[in-house]
Amino acid sequence: MEIVVCIKQVPDVPTVRMDRERMTIIREGVESVINPLDYIALEAALELRQKAGGHVCIITMGPVQSEVALREALAVGADQAILLTDPDFAGADTLATSHVLARAIQKIEPFPDLILCGMQTTDSDTGHVGPQIAEELGLPQVCGVNEIHREGKFLVVKRLSDGFVDTVKVTLPTLLTVTKGLCPVRDLPLGALEAAFSTKDVLEWNMTDLDLKKEEVGFAGSATQVRRLRTPPPRGSGDIIEGPPDVLVGHLLRRLEALSILDEEDEKK
Amino acid sequence: MKKNRLSDSIWVFGDYRNYFQNRVTLQLIAKGKELAKELDKQLIAVVLGDQVHQYAMEYVAHGADVVVAGEDPGLMEYQVDTYTAVLARWVEAFKPQILLAGATSFGREFFPRLAKRLHTGLSADCVALDVEKDTGLLVQTTPSFGGELLAEVVTPDHKPQMATVHPGIFRELPHDPDAFGCIIYPEIGPLPEIRVKRMRTRPQQTHDIRLEDAAVVVAGGIGLGSKELFGMLSELADLLGGDVGATRPAVYAGWAEEERLLGQTGKNVRPKLLISVGTSGALQYTTGIQGAETIIAINRDPNAPFFKIADLGLVGDAVTVLPLLLDALRKRV
Ligand SMILES: Cc1cc2nc3c(=O)[nH]c(=O)nc-3n(C[C@H](O)[C@H](O)[C@H](O)COP(=O)(O)OP(=O)(O)OC[C@H]3O[C@@H](n4cnc5c(N)ncnc54)[C@H](O)[C@@H]3O)c2cc1C
Ligand SMILES: Cc1cc2nc3c(=O)[nH]c(=O)nc-3n(C[C@H](O)[C@H](O)[C@H](O)COP(=O)(O)OP(=O)(O)OC[C@H]3O[C@@H](n4cnc5c(N)ncnc54)[C@H](O)[C@@H]3O)c2cc1C
Repeated sequence: MEIVVCIKQVPDVPTVRMDRERMTIIREGVESVINPLDYIALEAALELRQKAGGHVCIITMGPVQSEVALREALAVGADQAILLTDPDFAGADTLATSHVLARAIQKIEPFPDLILCGMQTTDSDTGHVGPQIAEELGLPQVCGVNEIHREGKFLVVKRLSDGFVDTVKVTLPTLLTVTKGLCPVRDLPLGALEAAFSTKDVLEWNMTDLDLKKEEVGFAGSATQVRRLRTPPPRGSGDIIEGPPDVLVGHLLRRLEALSILDEEDEKK
Repeated sequence: MKKNRLSDSIWVFGDYRNYFQNRVTLQLIAKGKELAKELDKQLIAVVLGDQVHQYAMEYVAHGADVVVAGEDPGLMEYQVDTYTAVLARWVEAFKPQILLAGATSFGREFFPRLAKRLHTGLSADCVALDVEKDTGLLVQTTPSFGGELLAEVVTPDHKPQMATVHPGIFRELPHDPDAFGCIIYPEIGPLPEIRVKRMRTRPQQTHDIRLEDAAVVVAGGIGLGSKELFGMLSELADLLGGDVGATRPAVYAGWAEEERLLGQTGKNVRPKLLISVGTSGALQYTTGIQGAETIIAINRDPNAPFFKIADLGLVGDAVTVLPLLLDALRKRV
């Protein structure tokens, strides 16, 4: 089975700084990691490869620094890595991001049987990219998958959706987005990262390689614009009550009444 | 007198498989109507299924000016491929300005695909929607970095302006049995073949109802000191119609399942009320809960950082406060 896994590098710490002029996140100086769900997608791909044979190719669109994420994925066991990078790719919304990723996947030979994405990222967290790649490639999609079984030309997958546990059968090729609970993430074998840096190649494709035009990608190819970034209004601290337990409980009950979570007590006027 | 126009209006996708989805649809109809007034447009609900008349009536009673409905056995199942085909067709025919859906599992799987087919922008899981004064554009406020930042997103040059919206943010209008509206059934057109075949569907057990959807969350930290005391939170949650969450140390202690972990590496919740007991208020935890409307903290340390973000802070020992609270509540509910 030929599998492509899309991975995105995200900032590791919640100490996010922003470039207020360009309305983008400053990534310099912030440590980056592979989006946690993309790690799970990668593990799932490696497990499927073990059972069914084939290859695992990982791709990311991002600045040149994202090569580190690809190296890490190679160290874990991926066969091939492609970095999609071009100054013009910057500032992309999900419409433009999915366009570049879909175009790259079309260029990969042979065309994959399975494309895996995370269900969402820990930074902008839209969850759009998977379904939008599937749409551009004309493939079926199943989102939020936490179990995958292979059955000949089909996959049988399980996911939670709006209060239902769905088991569905999907034809290949297909795109799945995965969520927690699918695969335990293993630790890197000792020395594997160093080996991945010295031995394996990372392919690099830019706008011309992908036969894309400037107006299709990055900021220019985006339909949404971030007008303003702000931090949520700080939660001012409210009332802090000290006293014996019954007084504390009294305060809590009155707050529950004020929130209509508890009916007002009848006796009280 | 407003013209009854289908085009150029504000559309809300009617998502109705269960109670929770239905509620967020009604909330969006209310909010959409407010936006529609501001923009002098109409609020239209759109609903698909094999028998949808009762839902269409419900949407009218809750404020929809018009309901655009599609009835076909092929639409009985919530399928992204078929729903995208029909809605894309209707959007191209009627050209709505704005198209909204609840950020349900289905909404978040369906709308990205639809936006891509329509080649327009989409924002995710919005917590506020406003009209920009000078441009009339929809300002879509969406949380990112686990709620650390709010981004105001606009879609200036593409139509419709699409957003999925977090459940529970807006208030639905009361049911008005006298409300008058029209329900139309446009042609559905051919449906694509089903590529994702449902083999089995079962309702989730109550214990795996998504914590994220609970209106009340009772969360506990390592300060509770024992599994027994932590266990009292379940009863507290039951009495308040809510669910239980936990900090990482409490999960590590084996008092709660991993699925109940709140925070940076766990779940984000934005309930109406969060009661947090024996938690210090580490940033990695509070990022997951700061979207709660009201936060009540119980901690025996008056200097616990958590008190800084609590709306009501009770300085006390959980060992004595919790049993007393449960006693009082058992008598009341
Ligand atoms: C504050 C802020 C708010 C934003 N709001 C919006 C918005 O409302 N609408 C919008 O369209 N865009 C928005 N964007 C832009 C959006 O973040 C980018 O398009 C981003 O490249 C992908 O979005 P995501 O992180 O939400 O990915 P998701 O859709 O959450 O990612 C899902 C999966 O897709 C794959 N994937 C995603 N990105 C890449 C990549 N670059 N390379 C390889 N695989 C990838 C991964 O497998 C990932 O797990 C916003 C950006 C910021 C900074
Ligand atoms: C990269 C990273 C990611 C992390 N992600 C998460 C995450 O997603 N979620 C998460 O929760 N944590 C996360 N953590 C851990 C986090 O930093 C904190 O350690 C954790 O949230 C603290 O949990 P706590 O409040 O239960 O425990 P503590 O910080 O030990 O606080 C216990 C509190 O209970 C109070 N207390 C003690 N006894 C009583 C009593 N009898 N009655 C009342 N109050 C009492 C104490 O005064 C104290 O304030 C992460 C850490 C790292 C480094």
